[in-house]
Amino acid sequence: MQGLHMVGIHHAYGAAKILNNISLTVPAGELVCLLGPSGCGKTTLLRIAAGLEQLQAGSVTIDEVVIAEGPAQLPPEERRIGYMFQDYALFPHLSVLDNVIFGLFRRDRRTARARALVMLDQVGMVPHAEKYPHMLSGGQQQRVALARALAPEPRLVLLDEPFSDLDTNMRARVRQQTLSVLKQNNVATLMVTHDPEEAMFMADRIKVLGDQGRILQSGRPADIYYKPADEYVARLFGPMNMIDGVVEQGGLKSSFGTMALEDSTAAEGSIVRVLIRPEGMILSNGGGDGGAPVDIISAHLLGDTSVVRFKVRNGINSGAEFHMRMSGAFDPTELGQIWARVDLRHAFQYPQNQ
Amino acid sequence: MVEITRSFEIEVELIDNDHRRLVEIINEITQAIDDDQPEECARLVPDFVAFTKRHFAREEALLEKNGYPQVDKHRRHHASLDDKMKTMEALALNVVDSPAARDTLRKELVFFLMDDVINEDMDFKNFLVNATSKGNETTDE
Repeated sequence: MQGLHMVGIHHAYGAAKILNNISLTVPAGELVCLLGPSGCGKTTLLRIAAGLEQLQAGSVTIDEVVIAEGPAQLPPEERRIGYMFQDYALFPHLSVLDNVIFGLFRRDRRTARARALVMLDQVGMVPHAEKYPHMLSGGQQQRVALARALAPEPRLVLLDEPFSDLDTNMRARVRQQTLSVLKQNNVATLMVTHDPEEAMFMADRIKVLGDQGRILQSGRPADIYYKPADEYVARLFGPMNMIDGVVEQGGLKSSFGTMALEDSTAAEGSIVRVLIRPEGMILSNGGGDGGAPVDIISAHLLGDTSVVRFKVRNGINSGAEFHMRMSGAFDPTELGQIWARVDLRHAFQYPQNQ
Repeated sequence: MVEITRSFEIEVELIDNDHRRLVEIINEITQAIDDDQPEECARLVPDFVAFTKRHFAREEALLEKNGYPQVDKHRRHHASLDDKMKTMEALALNVVDSPAARDTLRKELVFFLMDDVINEDMDFKNFLVNATSKGNETTDE
């Protein structure tokens, strides 16, 4: 199958395990994102694919050709991989055009120049072809680095935190363009990032890496967001609200009434932790089923959304603090008693061992 | 087209044969999409799901029989794929009218097979190769 296939990758630095039995597939034309905190091994996996790190165990196959297994390991320059580094690694003494031509050393100058211009056109950088890297903005440098990575028509592109040096507004624009160019070139892409939003935006599939280089969950962005495998994965996407519910008569009792219990094997009286995303809390000025009376602690308007903190007044979670986001302005003084409910689509249950 | 090359093999005949059959069905579905035969594609997806479920049951039985210590974890993994199979069945209902559903289905099938089925099976490859070389490569089905 066309694309990248890594099987049974283990890696250690001395006694420290960095990667633990990682297998993944990136079909041609698809983008897979490795998501995890610093030090979880994601860049090491990228470097193993590129051949910049010696493979210790497992195998790496690209387009049905085994490029690394045991002592047989193809050198990086023969793997036909485009690598885009975090700092772009453009040559400061070469023009934009020559930076892109640099990777085309196997072609004659005329063909290489034509190919480089095609790629610069794809990323909208032809007007800047004669400039030098120091004359470009961060976003422009990123686009040149992408053109250089794709110019030799690689079988695989590796992106290492490609947008981390860009400011927020620039990042949104550049990643949209990067994704379009990668899809246009139908190339398999493996990207690492610690930014969950970036992974959600870019990836066809996300693999979440945890401590000691284990894959904790793998799936479509929606799978990871709406069905996180554990508390760690759920919390990757930002701060969560947390309540402990008690299993009672087959349901889960909390200050927000009785929720459906996901784990039917949970013992009567046992504790199940519920993590609720900020957008999973709903405020209203009416009670009703599943509503709990709350006291507002603070409300801050952040432009198109407001962040509201509140405290539950009654029940087994009495005193617990929550935060939520709601669209538009929120003025609690205009309302009477305020009630909170939980949107179960954004609530995840994790039984606690006792 | 998807192809099972050596690096995708678990080296246990029963499982590799099942994986090959899954590949065949995926390729038939992909071919139906490429040939603009969405009705054929819609017909094949339930076959794929049904065969996948039978494969999971066979695999779990084999792991159990050979005393694989993480069989429950692998069983839970299989169970966690129910939603993805339901998604594929839902996509199959839409492929006749929706080119976007065809593209999504094609993508989901490949990731499902390679990532969720074969790559996950790599976890027990060494264990099962050793165990079945002692003569246990059958299930009691």
